[in-house]
Amino acid sequence: MAQQPPEAPGVRSRRFWSLRPRSDRDAGDAITSNFLLHAMPAKVSNASMAWTYSFWLGTITAALFLLLVLSGLPLLFLYVPSVERAYQSVKDIEYVVSFGKWLRAVHRVAAHGMVIAVVFHLARVFFTGAYKNGVGRNQHREWNWVIGVVLLLLTLFLSFTGYLLPWDQLAFWAVTVGTNIASAIPWVGPSVRELLIGGREIEQATLIRFYVLHIVVLPGAVAALFGYHMWRVRKDGGLARADREEQLETPRTVPPTPTKTYTLLGVARGTAPTVTAKTLIAADTTVNAVPDLVRRALIATLGTIALISILAVFIASPLEEPANPLITPNPAKAPWYFLWLQEIVTDTTIHLGSFTINGAFIGGVILPGLLIGVLTLWPWLDRSPREATGEWFHPARRTQNLVFIVVMVAILLLTYIGMEMRGPYWEFFWPWETWPSLPSRI
Amino acid sequence: MGGTDRRDFLIKLGTGAGACALGAQGVASLRSLAPNVSYDAPTTVKLGPPAEFSDGLKFLADERLFIFRNGNTFHAVSAVCTHLGCTVRAEALPKPETVDVGGSPLQLTHQFSCPCHGSHYTGDGVNTSGPAPKPLSWYRLSVAADDGQLVVDLAEEVGRDFRLTV
Ligand code: HEM
Ligand code: FES
Repeated sequence: MAQQPPEAPGVRSRRFWSLRPRSDRDAGDAITSNFLLHAMPAKVSNASMAWTYSFWLGTITAALFLLLVLSGLPLLFLYVPSVERAYQSVKDIEYVVSFGKWLRAVHRVAAHGMVIAVVFHLARVFFTGAYKNGVGRNQHREWNWVIGVVLLLLTLFLSFTGYLLPWDQLAFWAVTVGTNIASAIPWVGPSVRELLIGGREIEQATLIRFYVLHIVVLPGAVAALFGYHMWRVRKDGGLARADREEQLETPRTVPPTPTKTYTLLGVARGTAPTVTAKTLIAADTTVNAVPDLVRRALIATLGTIALISILAVFIASPLEEPANPLITPNPAKAPWYFLWLQEIVTDTTIHLGSFTINGAFIGGVILPGLLIGVLTLWPWLDRSPREATGEWFHPARRTQNLVFIVVMVAILLLTYIGMEMRGPYWEFFWPWETWPSLPSRI
Repeated sequence: MGGTDRRDFLIKLGTGAGACALGAQGVASLRSLAPNVSYDAPTTVKLGPPAEFSDGLKFLADERLFIFRNGNTFHAVSAVCTHLGCTVRAEALPKPETVDVGGSPLQLTHQFSCPCHGSHYTGDGVNTSGPAPKPLSWYRLSVAADDGQLVVDLAEEVGRDFRLTV
């Protein structure tokens, strides 16, 4: 009879990893032996897992991105990126292809949802002061904030490039107005626009550019940066909420835990086991990432996908007449998340004697540029103490929270005005007023 | 000793060569995206015999242009909004008025409005309200030497006193 070979370390008899570990060691193993899970810590503090701390908005954003990739794949087989056929192919998706209408709606609803989720995520991070560094040495949460700003811009640009693809009137004029803002930059403007749209008019060169950006370049960039974003969370010692835990509780004595192999912050600072433990390291305030963290992440992800799938049944995707460069619809509106800019662009042309500054430059370039700049540098402008890390509406950050709210409300208000209160010729109408009927063509 | 020197040198050589190659690939890839030729429409366009234009205004969608005729004089005003490039629309005035434009009288029959952000222009293209920073362009009109058609030169702006008399 053949001899059984000896047991070798690292060789596993089970076909898959375990999501139901029987011991702490098993739980740690579930992470280190799994490619998808290896970015997670072995232990997480209960507090940072709370639904009401992060509202899991980052996870929801990531889930939406995943859903966009999944729903984008079938569209990719059906959509033809040529000015002659793009419109017809989207029309086919909408009216001919089995489930095409729903798939397109899923993709669109998820895209709009992702813009919303990413903004909410940013607001959550702001209000909790989660870009601040708490207890650890060499923490750099501000870097992750900057990466987040880039991810926000990428998301907006992804959505904007997708907006052109159906090649209908809505798409064409939104992109005309959007890219014309670039040409308002002094000196380099026209060249920037030319590079963006691949020529001087919006036509085939523009469509293929936006298409490639939309399906390869930008999703790739989002995926790569998202990976780095998550890695930084790990290397900063987990969510800012965990730091707070460490700062505020008085140390207490806990019995040494013999089976402990990892702690959440173990990589970044110090070693276990401890006898005088701060709460974070105490066994009763943390749980194993497998299965607790994994379970919640799955709930957030599946919940998001379920919600979008249902919404997509009820929300129809617009498809107007085919793009016609000769006829501007009246009114012509940008995508909703740029309407506040369109509103500003409308109101900011300045006349100083004989000297005129185009509103497109102030409202389309200077103001958003300033806003993004200040947003990016905010962690360095915030002078609040370390204690304000990882807590909702910490009193020390009251003024800046107010400023943030005021700016957000202003943007929302302008968006609402642009959406609901601008009629033909961009004239102001109250929501209850009816628009005058005008001939749609001359 | 010589060994470490050589290893050092080879590491630097390898890294340098790799960086140069990547850089060249990157520059070439990016440069390929900046268009060298632009297949724009020609800027001088024949618009048809003058007799085909009736008195008043005619909108030419392809050229995004308004042609005005008043008796035997013609002029052309661009329909491209000077703010962000949407196509403006013409609205007939309840009653035409004659004003002095660039030293010569001009009968204004229309005014222009932009659907994108609501700029308004008078019938001779002067911006009156809204975000438009400057007046609509006027372009040179001429008569083709070969077949007598009206020709516009979209590359040549002219002053508001320009009239083509046929
Ligand atoms: C963050 C990620 C993404 C966002 C925000 C986004 C957004 C959008 C938007 C707004 C549209 C226009 C849909 C419409 O108006 O009908 C669109 C269309 C499209 N997207 Fe995406 N998208 C994303 C990712 C992807 C990915 C990853 C793929 C491919 C793998 C993809 C493939 C497509 C295709 C083929 C269309 C054209 C079909 C259509 O217009 O219905 N998208 N996208
Ligand atoms: S493009 Fe005409 S007002 Fe903005």
